Amino acid sequence: MNGRFSKFSPFHVDPEKIEKTFSLTAEDFVPANDEEKAAMEEKHKSVSYWRDAWRRFRSNTVSMVALVIFIICLLFAFLGPALIPYSYDDQYRTSQKMGPFEYSKGEELIKSIADSCDGFYATALRAGSITALNKGNYFIKDKGKIYAFTLDGALEKSVIVLRRDDKDPLIIVKEDDIKNGSWSKYEAISYTDTAAEDAMKLELSTGVFPHVFGTDSAGRDLMARTMYGTRVSIIIGVMAAIIVLIIGATYGAISGLSGGKVDFVMMRIVELIYSIPEVLVVLLLQVVLKDPLTEWFSSSSSGFVKAMSSLGSGIISIFITFALLYWVTMARIVRGQVLQLKQQEYVTAATALGASNGRIIRRHLLPNCVGSVVITTCLQIPSAIFLESFLSFLGLGVSAPMASLGSLCSDALETIQLYPYRLIFPGIVLTIVILTLNLIGDGLRDSLDPRLKK
Amino acid sequence: MTAYIVKRIIASVLTLLLIMCITFLLMNAVPGSPFLTEKSTPEMIARANAKYGLDQPLLVQLFNYIKNYLKGDLGTSLKMQEGTSVGTIIFGQGKFWLSIKLGVVALVLAVLIGIPLGCIAAYNRGKWIDGLLRVITTVGVAVPTFVLATLLLVTFAVKLRWLPTLSGSLPSFKSYIMPVISLSFYFLCYVAKLTRTSMLDAINQDYIRTARAKGVKTRKLIVKHALRNSLIPVITYLGPVMAGIITGSFVVESTFSIPGLGKYFIQSILNRDYPVIMATTVVLAALVIFMNLVVDIAYKIVDPRITLTGKED
Repeated sequence: MNGRFSKFSPFHVDPEKIEKTFSLTAEDFVPANDEEKAAMEEKHKSVSYWRDAWRRFRSNTVSMVALVIFIICLLFAFLGPALIPYSYDDQYRTSQKMGPFEYSKGEELIKSIADSCDGFYATALRAGSITALNKGNYFIKDKGKIYAFTLDGALEKSVIVLRRDDKDPLIIVKEDDIKNGSWSKYEAISYTDTAAEDAMKLELSTGVFPHVFGTDSAGRDLMARTMYGTRVSIIIGVMAAIIVLIIGATYGAISGLSGGKVDFVMMRIVELIYSIPEVLVVLLLQVVLKDPLTEWFSSSSSGFVKAMSSLGSGIISIFITFALLYWVTMARIVRGQVLQLKQQEYVTAATALGASNGRIIRRHLLPNCVGSVVITTCLQIPSAIFLESFLSFLGLGVSAPMASLGSLCSDALETIQLYPYRLIFPGIVLTIVILTLNLIGDGLRDSLDPRLKK
Repeated sequence: MTAYIVKRIIASVLTLLLIMCITFLLMNAVPGSPFLTEKSTPEMIARANAKYGLDQPLLVQLFNYIKNYLKGDLGTSLKMQEGTSVGTIIFGQGKFWLSIKLGVVALVLAVLIGIPLGCIAAYNRGKWIDGLLRVITTVGVAVPTFVLATLLLVTFAVKLRWLPTLSGSLPSFKSYIMPVISLSFYFLCYVAKLTRTSMLDAINQDYIRTARAKGVKTRKLIVKHALRNSLIPVITYLGPVMAGIITGSFVVESTFSIPGLGKYFIQSILNRDYPVIMATTVVLAALVIFMNLVVDIAYKIVDPRITLTGKED
């Protein structure tokens, strides 16, 4: 019966405790000192917008995986070319049309040499262009020993091999001998165990680097080309997104802030541009700009123009197209945001308190817009890569020997029946880049603008 | 409503005129002349220019273009089988209708399969089928048309030999399969994603709960109540789809060797065949603009919440 109000129930009140609580002494009325005041303040660490967004983004598994894969793609594109001995435009006569991990005859022989020796030196590890050394002093360092030697005359198309036995460790194998299918014909050259003065150092390699993706009809390494292609595609995507960001955000902000007739006219222009089928104009621009741009490249000598010309006229016209036509989506989004934010109570309050226009833009409008601007910019990158690959596929994008993922696919199309892997590798990389960027964009949307989360 | 439609039609015509002007300016911005070959002398070029009216001031030329287009005369080709009328080049031998047929089939496929897939995914939210569809559609919007088209070609035509490698002018059902799939797959996935999102939005609305409480069967609930509202974003997307399908058709037509309009457009640009460039651009742009017009009007009809005064938001 009494259980409900037993001693342990929350409703039970201990009379002694009440007395204690309400008994006050004079000390209780001493004003709080600074320390006590500080202790009263809330101690929550303020979480910035970006930290908060990053916390949300991190908890999104799919986006995090996409981010990691995209970073791997970035490493592949920007660090990869430094790690493999092949370049995107080197053509190797003897190793054309090879499949993934295939070796040409010469390479197989060099491989067998490499397997039976400690190491060997060659500028490019292939039979077609083995090495060319001027006459002079050289040394090779290997396992604590220095092998120095002197070349009386220039040496062409040979491999210097370091053998396991200490007797005659330095030998030279000539290209002709390799082609004949034997490498035993060698001539020993004089050597000492100390470095020769003013010697040039030679680096030892221990193996032939495989053509992971195979080679194309001109004997170019496809993995190197895919790496460069990925780099070009990503650079185009990012540049285009930046162009769209600058033009679109400025235009949209001006339109939204001005309002009234200015806004009306500016938005009619946007609508007009929006309804133009962009791809038709892109294609026209590509052809139209080709000659003038090439002329401009050859006539001007400034560094900026040089950098642009290495990209080729096709890519520049892609940028121009983005600057002309693709900013409208961004402008619409920014304008919508600005219009909406302008009517918020806190903006009215700030105006009433006498804040200047500049302060309202900086403190209230920009921070609230930044989320959707970042999302739109991020999603612009894959769409630019899409467009570039489409143009390159039609033969209007980057020009050879430069490669982009689209032009690699386009090159592969001619021989698709015999060598389908030439399309599959760049195609897969292209798909992965676009896919991960899309997923990262989705993750950004969820984390930067949680109100939109479904 | 009528006022709105009239306004939109006027805007569409203006856009088309703008595109004509842009195209004309771009064409004439290219240095050189369409008649410039190794053998041609200045006199020959001048004579040819005079024959085709290219020696007149630019504004007069532009005005002539517009005047002739209004009369339905698309001009004559400068390069391709010299002197043939552009109308024959574009509409002759069924080129135009070939492209249209391919595009329409792809569009219909994207809508007819994409929307039900989106509904299924939304209805089974969180279950394995939703997950599977999500993976497929997410990957689907990341695969470029040309990669898909070539992979299909290699797999089904070259390796398995089930389907013909050259689709030609689409003589049989079999020749349709690969071009249509590669053309519509991206849009199919996008439509499915879009439908799923807006369907989920609709399912959480109060009126759906009311209908469910009143005992409406699930299937009827989806088809009659939820779908109607969730179709609005899908309808708005159809305008860009049309533009995208035209873009995609350039790739698909070259991959499967279909003699459609897309191929001629690129060829005419490379040839600098001014009247053909102008005509193909105008025809393709007109298609896109017409589609946008239809979509805009349909949008206002479907969604009565949108004001018909023409003001946005």
